[in-house]
Amino acid sequence: MQTSSTSPHPALSATLVDMLRTYGPAIGMLGVLVVFAILKPVFLSPANIANVMHQSVVLIVISFGLAVVMSMRGVDLSVAQIADGAGLIAAILVLNGQPLWLVIAAPLAFGVGIGLVNGLIAAYVGVPAVIGTLGMMFIIRSGELMMTNGAEPQILFSLPRGLTRAFFFIGQGKIFGISALVLLGILIFMIMLAVMTFTPFARRAKAVGGNARAAMLAGIDIRAVFAGGFVIAGLLSAVAGVALVSRTGIAVPRGAEPYLLDAFAAVYLGTLLSRRAEITIPGVLVGGLFITFLGNGLTLLGLGAPFRYGLNGAFILLAMAIGALKRPH
Amino acid sequence: MSDPRSRQSETVIECRAIRKVFPGVVALDDVSLAITRGEVHALLGQNGAGKSTLVKILTGVYQQDGGEVRIGGEAVRLRDTRDAEARGVAIVHQDQQLVPQFDVANNILLGSEMTGALGLLDRGAMRERVDAALKRIDAGFSADTLVRDLSIAERAQVAIAAALMRNPTALILDEPTASLSDHEAEHLFGIVRGLRDQGVTVIYISHYLDEVLSLVDRISVLRDGKLIGTLPVDGVSRADVVKMIVGRDIAQLYPKEVVPIGQPLLEVRDLAHGHKLNGVDLTVRRGEILGIAGLVGAGRSELALTLVGALKRRQGSVTIDGRASDPATPRDAKNDGFSLIPEDRRHEGLVIDMTVRENLSLPNISRWARFGLFNPVAEANAARELVERLKIQPASIRPLTRNLSGGNQQKVVVGRWLTGNSQVFLFDEPTTGVDVGSKIEIYRQMVELARQGAAIIFISSDFEEISAMCDRTVVMAKGKIVKTFEDQCEATPEALLNWASATGQEEDVAGTSAVPADTGRVERLLSRWGTALGMVVTIAVIALLAPHFLGIGNIFDVLKQGSVLAFIALGLTVVLIAGGFDMSAGATSQFAANLAAGTLLAGQGTLAAILFGGGLGLAIGTVNAGLVLLLRMPPFVATLGMMFVAMGGTLLYNGGQALTLSGPPEFFFLGQGYVGPVPFVFILLVIVTALLHVVLKRTRLGLRMYAVGLNPVAANLRGVTKPAYAFASFAIGGLILGLAGVILSAYSYGASALATGVDFLISALAAAFLGSTLTKAGELDVVGTVIAAIFLASLSNGLILIGVSSQALPGVQGLILILSIALGVFRRRAIGQVLIF
Repeated sequence: MQTSSTSPHPALSATLVDMLRTYGPAIGMLGVLVVFAILKPVFLSPANIANVMHQSVVLIVISFGLAVVMSMRGVDLSVAQIADGAGLIAAILVLNGQPLWLVIAAPLAFGVGIGLVNGLIAAYVGVPAVIGTLGMMFIIRSGELMMTNGAEPQILFSLPRGLTRAFFFIGQGKIFGISALVLLGILIFMIMLAVMTFTPFARRAKAVGGNARAAMLAGIDIRAVFAGGFVIAGLLSAVAGVALVSRTGIAVPRGAEPYLLDAFAAVYLGTLLSRRAEITIPGVLVGGLFITFLGNGLTLLGLGAPFRYGLNGAFILLAMAIGALKRPH
Repeated sequence: MSDPRSRQSETVIECRAIRKVFPGVVALDDVSLAITRGEVHALLGQNGAGKSTLVKILTGVYQQDGGEVRIGGEAVRLRDTRDAEARGVAIVHQDQQLVPQFDVANNILLGSEMTGALGLLDRGAMRERVDAALKRIDAGFSADTLVRDLSIAERAQVAIAAALMRNPTALILDEPTASLSDHEAEHLFGIVRGLRDQGVTVIYISHYLDEVLSLVDRISVLRDGKLIGTLPVDGVSRADVVKMIVGRDIAQLYPKEVVPIGQPLLEVRDLAHGHKLNGVDLTVRRGEILGIAGLVGAGRSELALTLVGALKRRQGSVTIDGRASDPATPRDAKNDGFSLIPEDRRHEGLVIDMTVRENLSLPNISRWARFGLFNPVAEANAARELVERLKIQPASIRPLTRNLSGGNQQKVVVGRWLTGNSQVFLFDEPTTGVDVGSKIEIYRQMVELARQGAAIIFISSDFEEISAMCDRTVVMAKGKIVKTFEDQCEATPEALLNWASATGQEEDVAGTSAVPADTGRVERLLSRWGTALGMVVTIAVIALLAPHFLGIGNIFDVLKQGSVLAFIALGLTVVLIAGGFDMSAGATSQFAANLAAGTLLAGQGTLAAILFGGGLGLAIGTVNAGLVLLLRMPPFVATLGMMFVAMGGTLLYNGGQALTLSGPPEFFFLGQGYVGPVPFVFILLVIVTALLHVVLKRTRLGLRMYAVGLNPVAANLRGVTKPAYAFASFAIGGLILGLAGVILSAYSYGASALATGVDFLISALAAAFLGSTLTKAGELDVVGTVIAAIFLASLSNGLILIGVSSQALPGVQGLILILSIALGVFRRRAIGQVLIF
């Protein structure tokens, strides 16, 4: 009775739009991949697929963190830089022959610490997150440059294997023939799914994202919740950064920066899979996988960075344009 | 015009049998009244009586469903507010939408600015006209005072003056005294009388009967959408008016029950907040429903919000069951045992995009949690039970609360507190806009809570329900309790209205004088000149450590380096001014630099390079504007996507190679040439900045760009709509960013292969925001931006001279960016959310 549709054929156009909403994005993503598969059959070879899955973990884990912040209408431009810094710390510790627990614990502590500072600046001081985390990104970058004497790569793969075997297992090892990194990714996905479904934090975060004032009056500590998102983002980014260095055996300062753009694309694309264009953990997983497959396909076709950037941007804009259809005004 | 009395009989506005129906409610039914020229005519009635609907029809916000409106004897159908204004009906709203950073003249004439030669604003004429209007209402401030520096009462006067500029035949004043002190209100009455003497017809809406009876000529009373009567005030007693307003409706069913009343549970002593709440004492006992009657602006909501810690307490103490309660946030208050059902359920009560279930379990979600995970089955069952208990329709926990009716929404807000350990329930206007069935359900819940031993505070301006449902009632006015009815039998609707609408002269003096004193002189100087001082000190310290820093040669070097960045920052500032955001700013300049370099390499000459570079920027800006305005994307996302696209385009264009130029020299002159000792690029910067400054501050276009950025609602009310001016800002900003790219490639003899516009972005953002802290009103400003950009360049230069590693420079810039924003926002801190969706 009170539908907002004003078109002359409400029933027909509503069904069409409904169809488009529900299946369009998924079909579109599949279509892109099918095109790659036709152009380069090797794209769908088991080896390539396993390779892409292996590669996608770092991006997906970073995107999870970004997604948590963005679901509260925040944004964290420093996620990729945190990953970068964390990886660098891990590499330097390995080079100095530190024990494995420290090699892992120190970067994670760094990620949590940066997340805390980001959260304090955004939630307690009130600096818009886009500004605060942009500033933080540059502060970390400076730190990295100074730590590495002007962006000298920290090379681990040329070290004696005895020193690096344990650390490299994270990114290169296999458990029962399955990449340990993929298993780590699945584990983190399960944990994030549980965290964002079954914890009081997730409910509160959703309320903060939906209406911060109402959430506050309902007795929610909105500042702590908002800051908490940045801490999660910091921690996950640090995990991803350590995994990246373990996978590649080298830590190049600023090497992880491109992940920022990919992560945005993954999160925005992920919203297409939800009925109300919301950010969801499974959506981010699919978005991250798609972006990695896309990059892989472009590489196979011999198309490099310009196309990746261009398509990432175009997909973000497309995702938002479709999302605009889904939301009530 | 000299003698209004002679025109007394001429009808200005006439309503004939006006009818307005909303789904399920007849808001106005057969309302006929005539307003005569030069009178002050009051519209009276309780909340929901139909006053605001009638006013909205007269101002073109709503259209009547039946009957006709005649203005000046002619039947009209008002399409919108501008149509109404054109026909001489102007309204001054209760809360004035003004642009605080503008002065009075710009605020009043926004949308109808006066221009002189070259399209420049004729400030002299504007000031003159506005001062004349201000004089008409005897204002104590001038046309060039910043609205930011005015009191609430003075802002109301600005609004009245703005309405007068349109030479209205009838001026509607909607609750003009609700947030004024007695002294300020008295001044306003003087203004209204003065206007009447000048022949202006005034329609005056107020709940305060005393002021109405002493001010107006005639009154019309509405009740339940019907006109009860129109009569001259001479010879009408206050009691008669109260009777007309309240009336005797068909007795509604109130499920009041007698519940044993126990020991005092909530004790409030001398509670105060700002100047809206001036020392309130309350005691509520277990099982008791305490009514708080009062009118809009009486301080009732402030009382509730202060009790739960959402507003800061100035003084006073609160105890629950003997334990002191001084919550800093609503969360602390929840733990102390408070539950608030806020006044505005859609914006403050519910998260409307969450489901019934999620809203119901929101405050106490950890109740179902163990080891950090909650049990969704138990939680859903609890929510289902509440839905059943409160008879929420539809009887499901799954729908989004946005799709529920008002009454059911309210039940959800009430229901979510029923699972906790709350002892004190604050109901703030729980039944406004709620259907009768839901009303009864809400009353029942109150009684039920009381029976369980809770203390209940029931705030309402529906005096009938207060009278019927409460055990005791207090009346608030002007932030104080003016009357306590220990015996509820005396708290009749008439008595409540009588007390609530009295002006309460003698009690007010202490209240207004208790307003916190102005901040200290030093503090004010610091907040005005702090940034500038900081810059000077920084420069001085660097000069001390590195004497070479202030050498003429070095200064001009810095100016040259800084100018390129300043150009990019200028472009970004222009976009930010109209409320946009541009993540793609740096990438756009980078792309334009490549295009310019490529154009020259292709041998097409300097002019072509400039045209292509600038054109590219303009094109990207236009696309950004299209994404934001047509597809309604948040600027952050749209320009983020555009940033990717521009980066991809850059790499595609240069093939990942640096484009190195070896000529022509006239092109390099743009970025590297000197006129005498002065770098040419700096001269160019000064010229462009001056030009932009004139456009932004001295033309209609610029003024309106600022207006839509600073307060789009205010701008819209004056007929200045956002799209046109936001488009202009994206396009002009894009053009400047493109030209900045051209200059960049002239400065660096070509274009680098990298496509990282992010570096430029942060410097430009830092310059824009740091520059804004230099201005008087704290608004974005091109001159401030340029000064800040040059400062940032000198800082980089100076730090290197001192021997700080260049690797630390990005970090320093990041830090300055955060600090410059923190300076501005710390006092009114929100949480730093961005509009992403």
